[in-house]
Amino acid sequence: MSCSSNSPNSGGCGGGGCGSGSGGHEHGMDRRSFLRTSSVAVAGVAALAASLAPLRDLTDVGTAEQFFQKHYKKLTPEDMEKVLARITREVEKQYEVRPHVRDYKAMDGVEFVYALNLTRCIGCRKCVHACVAENNQSRNPEIQYIRVLKMPHGSMDPEKGDHNYTSELVPEKGSFYMPVQCQQCVNPPCVKVCPVKATWQESDGITVIDYDWCIGCRYCEAACPYFARRFNFTKPSIPKDQINPNMSYLGNRPRPQGVVEKCHFCIQRTRAGKYPACMEVCPTGARKFGNILDPDSEVSHILKTKRVFIQLKEEVGTSPRFFYYFDV
Amino acid sequence: MKAERKTPLVLSILTISFLILAATFLTDIWGKSAQLPEIPPVDPSFTKTATARVSAEELYRTKGDTSMLECYGCHEQGKELTLKFDEDHNVILPDEHDDIIMAHGTHNRNNNCFNCHDEHNLEVLQTRDGRTVKIQDGHDLCGSCHGPTYRDWLAGIHGRTSGFWNVSMGEKHRETCTACHDPHQPKFLPRKPAPGPNPLRPVEVKHSEGKAH
Amino acid sequence: MIKAAKNYLTFLARCGRIAFVGDWRYYAWMGALTLVCLVGLNAYAKQLVHGLITTGMTDQVSWGVYIANFTFMVGVAAAAAMLVIPVYIYDNEELHDLVIFGELLAVAAIIMCLLFVTVDLGRPDRFWHMIPGVGEFNFPGSMLSWDVVVLNGYLLLNVHICGYLLYCRYQNRTPSKWFYIPFVFIAIGWAISIHTVTAFLYVGLGGRHFWNSAIVGPRFIASAFTAGPALIILALQVIRKVTEYRITDKALLTLRSIVQVSMIINVFLLANEVFKEFYSKTAHVASAEYLYFGLHGFSGLVGWIWTAVAFNLIAMVILILPVSRSLKWLDVACVLAIVGIWIEKGMGLVIPGFIPTPLGEIVEYTPSWNETLVCLGIWAFGLLCYTIFLRMAIPILQGKLSKSSETQSVPDTTPAPITSQV
Repeated sequence: MSCSSNSPNSGGCGGGGCGSGSGGHEHGMDRRSFLRTSSVAVAGVAALAASLAPLRDLTDVGTAEQFFQKHYKKLTPEDMEKVLARITREVEKQYEVRPHVRDYKAMDGVEFVYALNLTRCIGCRKCVHACVAENNQSRNPEIQYIRVLKMPHGSMDPEKGDHNYTSELVPEKGSFYMPVQCQQCVNPPCVKVCPVKATWQESDGITVIDYDWCIGCRYCEAACPYFARRFNFTKPSIPKDQINPNMSYLGNRPRPQGVVEKCHFCIQRTRAGKYPACMEVCPTGARKFGNILDPDSEVSHILKTKRVFIQLKEEVGTSPRFFYYFDV
Repeated sequence: MKAERKTPLVLSILTISFLILAATFLTDIWGKSAQLPEIPPVDPSFTKTATARVSAEELYRTKGDTSMLECYGCHEQGKELTLKFDEDHNVILPDEHDDIIMAHGTHNRNNNCFNCHDEHNLEVLQTRDGRTVKIQDGHDLCGSCHGPTYRDWLAGIHGRTSGFWNVSMGEKHRETCTACHDPHQPKFLPRKPAPGPNPLRPVEVKHSEGKAH
Repeated sequence: MIKAAKNYLTFLARCGRIAFVGDWRYYAWMGALTLVCLVGLNAYAKQLVHGLITTGMTDQVSWGVYIANFTFMVGVAAAAAMLVIPVYIYDNEELHDLVIFGELLAVAAIIMCLLFVTVDLGRPDRFWHMIPGVGEFNFPGSMLSWDVVVLNGYLLLNVHICGYLLYCRYQNRTPSKWFYIPFVFIAIGWAISIHTVTAFLYVGLGGRHFWNSAIVGPRFIASAFTAGPALIILALQVIRKVTEYRITDKALLTLRSIVQVSMIINVFLLANEVFKEFYSKTAHVASAEYLYFGLHGFSGLVGWIWTAVAFNLIAMVILILPVSRSLKWLDVACVLAIVGIWIEKGMGLVIPGFIPTPLGEIVEYTPSWNETLVCLGIWAFGLLCYTIFLRMAIPILQGKLSKSSETQSVPDTTPAPITSQV
């Protein structure tokens, strides 16, 4: 009711001003209202431009080369060479270290399996930090691939675990310790849910991520039953003197902001025949790693001779390549 | 006609609002994003791969200081040693050996030095079935009692292994028993754990996170 | 051919122009929405620079209000079908012309959905990786890629139906049935699918017991068919008030009966879920326990969910009682239902699914200011879109904006039908 106005007039002015700007009749009121509408328009555009002011702080806008980079599996060897050269340049510029970046491929006849002896793990968390150092994880905000749970005797239910124990000395009586990291599932739910195939399982069983392809939707984080995936909520920060220069494309090269990462069994080490960093640092030898297709490997022995070994959350059907076992 | 005058008024208010908003954006009055809380750097010792202790084997291999293992620097060769025990049948160690804590096995069953050391040649070890074993081959001695563990160790599934899982690409190194266990006190000693995870958003500062001023 | 294209462009240009014309209330409303949009855009610019650290999300709670709002808006979009079904399947004449309003709401809602997903991405610059053929589209493996397909498909369907019907009305010719009736029926099935697929996004995750329940899909549909028509009831009343477009009370009451039945089913399904969780009390009850009663001293969502439950129950009671035949009470019930279901989708479904984590850690989630501003911006943008759509559609439906008025009016003297109450 109250909105009644002499519409042909008022509408006409407004429409002319905004629509085409050509409605300048030689009429005092029209000119005034034209000024008014255009001042709104100008102020609006100014506010629009100003609202984007934070983009001033956008430091590294990617190059066209980076933007149009193809999916890992579609890169030709020559493409990959260029990509590795670009990564080398970027690392050198940012961290003042000349890295050795390679694209390690899976070996034939190799399927990696991890086994962790819960009788021996003392919960010292050395694996957590060796992993951080080896894999160039962000120190702040902190990204860690391994979580060590302090568990009460008698339960394998991770929900009973303590993530933040600050004991003076470990191990403590009445507890055992269960480190959890990417379980490199045979049926990885994270791979299934990724909308852009930025994460996949390689022939040696390692589920990898193309950090240059991930769109950062974090659906994989929701899908993972092991809390194994980490997201770069902001630009990762790593002290220059702590960069590990031995890098791989699908592994420990520095990650950009806004993508997901996770344990990749130290691809830059294990595909070069070495043991992963978490195993090298374990003071008790609780961690075992190797090729399950080799009947003489340590992990083959464990799965053959140990009576009880556990795949965490067996009921979710992921079939991990990470086994927990006990002595005796 | 009243409504007619309202349109210009609204437009003017909008112009002013847009300009104020633009100024607010430019001065960034809502503040920068909250600073991340400090995370102290982790003690580098936690990333060191050194074994818990240095075994005799390692000392000989790396040509380290083995003087500790040269018994006849102090002991007299050929002279028979007699052990003294207290009323609880604990062996009484001389002051020179007060760094040793005798805690191998439960119920005090293993507190006789010559269960492992050869009383005729202190620089070697002896098994229960009478074989002598060089000190740097201690795992043979350990294995003579700890059968299942020895078997696991031989298969590489007990104790530390490092280097290359793929022996065609490099050397695999297996640590011996005494690289982790003190033979006199073999239980793996408790140690200080590395710091736990730092949350992305500490609960205490959660409320100041919402950075509206 | 060229003439047809020219005609169509003229139509678009006139529609575009009319969006800038209105009375003072229209300017105030659009101006206010634009202001909020800009605040949201500014907040998003900050997020773009600093990353999702500007939100309240963590690795533990990796989805927050963005995805919660997305889920809710998918429901609103799907609810357009609740206007279409009575008209095209049961030949309800009362709602016939209102279908357009529902479908325009669906279009606005889908635009909001797409925005909510985009702001949730860590790398929006890589959106093209999702374009089939150009990027690497994980179809049919990923439920998210299904969602991309069904949402964009639904958007196209509704844009086509609305656009075609309005253009025909503009040209004052009878729409050819072959050109839209098949699409209407596809859109009905499609509407169900968009919300089912969105539910499957959650249901498909075996590691999240709170979501891994077959009832989530039906619950989504029931709640969508409650909140959506409730929103349309409110929207129609606003349209009736500010324009002279005639909408009968009977039409609103037809929608009431839809909301009524859906709400009863919604509450019934909720009760089923609650029974299953708390009677069996398996190890998987942790999330539900956290949601309803708090867990290990953490109880961030308890207040929210009981508010939602109370709102839903009160709305249901009002809707069942004859009192809701009066529009005043119906409006109260609608508002309660919308707020209740909005909470239920976000605080009641998305967030507790992450708490505790699969490893039993409890990290609570509160949206940050920046995140909230981005959400408000998207809501404002959605309303802005819907208002513009209505601003264009209503004069066309009234016959005030038509091809016949093209010749006689110079652009700058286009009448403003919305305000013309003679």
